[in-house]
Amino acid sequence: MRFLRTLLFPLVALTSLALARSSTGDTVLVLLEPSLKKENFSIFFGDLEKKGYKLTFRSPKDTTPEIIKDDVAQFAHVVVFAPETKTFAGDITPQTLVSLLSKKTNLLLALSPKQTPLSSLAAEFTLILPPPGTPLISHFPKRDTPATVVPVEPPRAHHIISDGLAPVWFSGVPQALGNSPMLVPLLQAPPQAFASDADSDSGADALVEAAEKSGEGLWAGSSLSLVTGFQALSNARATWVGGIEIFSDEYINKEISKGVKSGNRQFVKDVAAWTFQEANVLRIDTVEHHRVNETLPRETYTINNQVTYTAYISQYDPELDLWEPYSGINDLQLEFTMLDPHIRTSLPPVAGEPGKYSVSFRVPDRHGVFKFNVDYKRKGWSYLSSTTVVPIVPPRHDEYPRFLSAAWPYYAGAFSTSAAFLLFVALWLAGDEREPKKGKGSKAE
Amino acid sequence: MPLAYSLPSDLSPATVTNTSSLLRIIALALISGAAIASRLFAVVNFESIIHEFDPWFNYRATKVLAEKGFYAFWNWFDHTAWYPLGRVVGGTIYPGLMATSGVIYNVLHALNLPVDIRNICVLLAPGFSALTAWSTYMFTKELKDESAGLLAAAFIGIAPGYISRSVAGSYDNEAIAIFLLMFTFYSWIKALKTGSAFFGTLTALFYFYMVAAWGGYAFITNMIPLHALTLILMGRFSSRLYVAYSSWYAIGTLASMQVPFVGFQPVRTSEHMAALGVFGLLQIVAFAELVRAHVSSRQFQSILFGSVIVIGVLGVLAFAGLTYKGWIAPWTGRFYSLWDTGYAKKYIPIIASVSEHQPTAWPSFFMDLQFLIFLFPAGVILCFRELRDEHVFVIIYAVVASYFAGVMVRLMLTLTPVVCVAAAVAFSSLLDTYIDPVEPEVSEVAVPVTGGDSSAASPATVDGAVSSKKAKKAAAAVADASSTGIASGIVAAIGGQSKSPKARGIFGLDTRFLIVVNALGMLLFFVLHCTYVTSSAYSSPSVVLASQNPDGSQHIIDDFREAYYWLRQNTPQDAVVMSWWDYGYQIAGMADRPTLVDNNTWNNTHIATVGKAMSSPEEVAYPILRKHDVDYVLIIFGGLIGYSGDDINKFLWMVRIAQGVWPDEIQEPNYFTPKGEYRIDDAASPTMKNSLMYKMSYYRFAELFGGSQAVDRVRGQQVPKTGPTLDYLDEAFTSENWIVRIYQVKKEDLLGRDLKTANAFANGKKRKKSKPLARRKALA
Repeated sequence: MRFLRTLLFPLVALTSLALARSSTGDTVLVLLEPSLKKENFSIFFGDLEKKGYKLTFRSPKDTTPEIIKDDVAQFAHVVVFAPETKTFAGDITPQTLVSLLSKKTNLLLALSPKQTPLSSLAAEFTLILPPPGTPLISHFPKRDTPATVVPVEPPRAHHIISDGLAPVWFSGVPQALGNSPMLVPLLQAPPQAFASDADSDSGADALVEAAEKSGEGLWAGSSLSLVTGFQALSNARATWVGGIEIFSDEYINKEISKGVKSGNRQFVKDVAAWTFQEANVLRIDTVEHHRVNETLPRETYTINNQVTYTAYISQYDPELDLWEPYSGINDLQLEFTMLDPHIRTSLPPVAGEPGKYSVSFRVPDRHGVFKFNVDYKRKGWSYLSSTTVVPIVPPRHDEYPRFLSAAWPYYAGAFSTSAAFLLFVALWLAGDEREPKKGKGSKAE
Repeated sequence: MPLAYSLPSDLSPATVTNTSSLLRIIALALISGAAIASRLFAVVNFESIIHEFDPWFNYRATKVLAEKGFYAFWNWFDHTAWYPLGRVVGGTIYPGLMATSGVIYNVLHALNLPVDIRNICVLLAPGFSALTAWSTYMFTKELKDESAGLLAAAFIGIAPGYISRSVAGSYDNEAIAIFLLMFTFYSWIKALKTGSAFFGTLTALFYFYMVAAWGGYAFITNMIPLHALTLILMGRFSSRLYVAYSSWYAIGTLASMQVPFVGFQPVRTSEHMAALGVFGLLQIVAFAELVRAHVSSRQFQSILFGSVIVIGVLGVLAFAGLTYKGWIAPWTGRFYSLWDTGYAKKYIPIIASVSEHQPTAWPSFFMDLQFLIFLFPAGVILCFRELRDEHVFVIIYAVVASYFAGVMVRLMLTLTPVVCVAAAVAFSSLLDTYIDPVEPEVSEVAVPVTGGDSSAASPATVDGAVSSKKAKKAAAAVADASSTGIASGIVAAIGGQSKSPKARGIFGLDTRFLIVVNALGMLLFFVLHCTYVTSSAYSSPSVVLASQNPDGSQHIIDDFREAYYWLRQNTPQDAVVMSWWDYGYQIAGMADRPTLVDNNTWNNTHIATVGKAMSSPEEVAYPILRKHDVDYVLIIFGGLIGYSGDDINKFLWMVRIAQGVWPDEIQEPNYFTPKGEYRIDDAASPTMKNSLMYKMSYYRFAELFGGSQAVDRVRGQQVPKTGPTLDYLDEAFTSENWIVRIYQVKKEDLLGRDLKTANAFANGKKRKKSKPLARRKALA
């Protein structure tokens, strides 16, 4: 057996190396604008192919290969590198792109300062773009590149972006974030940056004026996002990148300072890994519920039962292409709901059993159709949600306590009345012959 | 003694008795056959199917009982009803009906007769109607004689007032309850007549069965005490009454408390207090009688009399005090609505919204009872002629039931038996009088007979020969009674006051012939009427509708089952369906899907929630739908083929019920036009047009007319050409004639937008450009 396993293991490892790292599939469609050369992005695409993705290229105006065929998405991931395309082929509309998300296809979309169908689609993701032709500008730090090519410090201690990256070259439009909780900012603008007319700095004054009016809103500062992830309810991910150059070989190889290469290569790798659902992917494998001291679930539970609820959660491991038990969630909660949560309790990981989260609680004193609800939504992580419906019923007729101490007066009353009746009957029968009249009187009383 | 026609005289009395009892048995058998057969119209015209609404629940419950046994049924928690509250079925129903079917089912299967449970349910009501006819026979026999009994049995067997609730497929509590009612009354009268504790116990047992079978048992609970009280007040207290009442009350009350749904109500609620009070009063009166028998002092008796009154007053005060303290539940709303017909509409719209709780329209008395309704008073007056204890009972029953039948349509059912009994008494008296061959002896005071053709004016009063007992006072009353039967009645009643009692009676064959033929004609027309009404009005399952093609052939409209089966076949087992409560039982029974509310209207708030969702705009309704996990919304729309019982016509009740709970959010006047009209056309109020119910009803309705003016055939109004749009619901199914429309509730938007925006995007509408949020804090 062991021999077999030792034989099998490298085999499995090999095949998994050949497979893609994504949890959802390895086919990628790249919609590449004809004006953009594939060779200019060779490092990014090369890294993807090295991971095992199968890239298919298509011009936005081509009609093949189809994105959706017979209502089935044909690719696991779609990269839209068409920031300046105004007219797409008929099967690529903002609506189909959104419907791709509902088919669990991930999207990686690049924007540009130009007004395109994509920039109006961004509004559906509550991203607010500046007016056309206003890219991000920063005059700091002093450098020899144009003001529109900005070195941006990647976030530190981020759960998606690798730590310790060198600044990232960026050029493109920033996005102000709306109030959607599904947005995950991956790269934020430097504090000194702002969006303005690229040609001159004259816009800066107008910007300050606008800021003073305050009602107008402001495209400036670190609240702007440059690369924004979005996780839809279907757990499909869409990432909006303000400019396509961030992926280019040129920016990847461009030095930040003397001898220090930019962090672009690792950054776009991380972004792609998150977008293609390699990283931060969780799932609930199974849930179980049963009464305490039992092992099998019941169809119904009785009020006030002690019930144990268990969820098994695993995380996708892109290295091995495996789902591995994951115990790293410490703020998982369980709700026991009928219309409103009757019980809301934390669902802690069980020590020593990886991936197992369990809690025991007393069912409320209320019958009805209850739901075990786990709803875990954290930015950047897959949403975990599980609903298990279980009816809570009142006790069966023979499950109530049989003899109540409080009812002893009634028991005594019943028994004494019965005894008195028997005594009366005995007296009645015995005394009938002697004094019939008296007996009659006692009957009426 | 002169005879109008000759009778065979060479028959031995034993032969007569035997023949008549054989004839009675044959007659009863034929009556049973007729009662059952006339109820089978529904099966013949349509199919063997459960009817209407409540029967669907009873059927479903019976299936559970038959499949899983009695204990599982008793403990049945139906988690698909009243989602997500669930319903403790065992504790909230009268299990008598299901238990009866279950027993029949098990007996048949024990005999290796594998009868389907559905057929047992469908045919239970006709079967029990035969028993009802028999028990009415027994009851009337106690009142008058066997011939009246047979007439009463025939009447109840085919009277539409009872058929309306007991056709094949009408598997409802009333199906067995009327039999139990009549049999309980019969055994009560028997117990009272004989003073037998055995019949008192029998009364109690059938009372228990009745309690287990129908909520209307409160009628018995109050009728018997009322009768007993009346007898006491009439000075007719006797040990027979004491024994009968005490044995009934003690055993009956204890037994009725064994029904889980009733529980402690017999000692805790006002409806049952009359029975308890009369029980107490009887003990006091019995005690007083006892003392009176032993003490001869007049003064002592008057003291006793006074003390009886004091005790009575104290009892009433104690009752009031207990009610005030809350130990005894006050009268329920349903009860108040019996006295004040406007009460329910004001305070409990959910009760008023049921059509069978509306006051009865006068024509329906004639429709349900035909000529019985005018024989009925005659029969009641005839009861005064003898006025034995049982006649007092019938008189009280008649008065009380007449009142209730006038208040509520459905209580016509309790009136029907007494009408049949009283009419049978009157009719059989008429026949007795005119068939009896004995002619009066012509006395000196000759009746001014001017030729044979004036027979109509001949005295119509009845001779005591039929029931040769004291009939002095009753004579006038009897004259009244028979006068209703014949055209010349008034003349006869006035002119018939001949002084000589011997001279009363009927002369000759012609009079007899005329009256008897007339009477038989009435019976014949009664049969025709009953058959016609039964076949045309009361045999529709209402699940399946029938209409006539232009060539007169029958056209079946089967939209309901079409839609319910669509739900059954195309939706997941646990998909929650929201509809107005009328259709809850049908959805549960036919589609087998969880429902929010159903015909067991126990939770007003939950119903009001559905009412609110239906009468609110989409964006208000959507969170309610999501909160209740609603997947599908089902509505009934009759505008296309003119089915008037649809949801738009019921809509105002939804609004009213919702307003009762959320008076700030839903207001009835908003659904009317400024002129106060209820309209659905262009002039409809904005609130009306935005309500979910309106939108779902008329969604894409105008498209059906292809450009020409769309017309709602129920309201007779023109529907706006641009119909309503729906953002939060998707049309999932619309039945052939558009009677049932089912909408699917959309899931939350993938991108977290509200569905209105998402829908606008999906339709390709451009979104208004937004600006980043102002960050005042950062600038300050």
